[in-house]
Amino acid sequence: MLFQINFKSGKPAYLQLVDQVKVAAASGTMRPGEALPSIRPLAEELHLNRNTIAKAYSELESQGVIETLPGKGSFLKENHSPLRKEIRRKLLIEEIDEAIVMAHHLQVPGAEFLDLIQVRMDALERKRRAHEDDKEKTK
Amino acid sequence: MNSPIPAIEIQNLAYSYGKAEAVHDLSLRVLPGRCYGLFGRNGAGKTTTMKCLLNLLRPQRGQVRVFGHDPAKAEVEVKRRLAYVPDQVAFYPWMSVRETLDYLASFREHWNRKKEEELFERFRLDPSKATGALSKGQRTQLALIAAICPETDMLVLDEPTSGLDPIVRREFIETVIGAYQEGNLGNRTILVSTHLITEFEGLIDEFTIMDQGVSVLSLEADEARQRYQRIRARFAQMPPELDFQSALRVRRDGREIELIVNGSGPELLERLRAHNPEALTTEALTLEEIFVAALKSEEPR
Repeated sequence: MLFQINFKSGKPAYLQLVDQVKVAAASGTMRPGEALPSIRPLAEELHLNRNTIAKAYSELESQGVIETLPGKGSFLKENHSPLRKEIRRKLLIEEIDEAIVMAHHLQVPGAEFLDLIQVRMDALERKRRAHEDDKEKTK
Repeated sequence: MNSPIPAIEIQNLAYSYGKAEAVHDLSLRVLPGRCYGLFGRNGAGKTTTMKCLLNLLRPQRGQVRVFGHDPAKAEVEVKRRLAYVPDQVAFYPWMSVRETLDYLASFREHWNRKKEEELFERFRLDPSKATGALSKGQRTQLALIAAICPETDMLVLDEPTSGLDPIVRREFIETVIGAYQEGNLGNRTILVSTHLITEFEGLIDEFTIMDQGVSVLSLEADEARQRYQRIRARFAQMPPELDFQSALRVRRDGREIELIVNGSGPELLERLRAHNPEALTTEALTLEEIFVAALKSEEPR
């Protein structure tokens, strides 16, 4: 897991770490059981106060995202489903926002943009069904 | 719950060299386990303040307390619990690196030999070399080893990285984070004075910006980065005349406006949004930019 801290985001560094682990967990970049870097090397690498890293890890632990085994380190937990939906939504929202900005630049009005989304969803749904039909036929 | 005894407490400190007032009515408090930055230009009064904490100077007004003690009355107790890296590092030039460390260790009740070895390796210092033959960077590295091995409760660093090359500076910061903060996590206090703020950005919990002997701004680093923002807006036509009184700085060029704000970000963002900008972005200022903004806003407009 490679972390990146951006002080210009205005978000406290420990929260940036927390969010990056959650995103990595939701997107599959980090798998359950995988180890997080230990505090000292990560602090040295990012030039962050060790207390900041410790705070991030204890926050992740209290949210049930990671577990810390004494003397062994911190690991991503198997099941933290209550958080996953929220994170998935967050990831999706980022993509939607980008599309909205793009629509604005290309001067596509809001209503037309929403229609387009519906059109695309229908198109993809038709494709998915066609795939399934093919599968049925080959059986 | 009782609040812990502050590692450092300064109240209304004043100190003058003859007629030249170096520190004027300075107050600040550092809680145990914090990394506290004292930022200021050269001559702002940082070193004088630190010297008062170490009983190298006696406060002329106000008082200083270190771990709850008056450094003038409990000098041994205070010095036992802290290590100091001054801005000008000086050793006996005829002593070797090894002899210097043994000599300095003889004043300490505790000395972590393992850590010493680890740091020797990291800095690739030659123990048999006379300290007079060391470069400025190597002298600072030696001073840092001497400050870290006693594993004291507090580390006081006065302009530790100025005049050093970038590699040595990075190693210095990494050593403070890695070797010093290790063990007793959450209880090792750091006071660092510097005008090279960027490299300490991630280390600083809280800071005071000094100028001409007074405190200009004292804040938590996270809070400072939330309050101090740069807002950029671009409009389709020439931007309307808006009230930006609450901004620290306003730059305009054609259809673009850039504001530096302290706390009034949300209000000004709303005002800009009302005029449908083509683009509107905000970012936090870094501590160094906050330092510059705070000192500039002190100047008469």
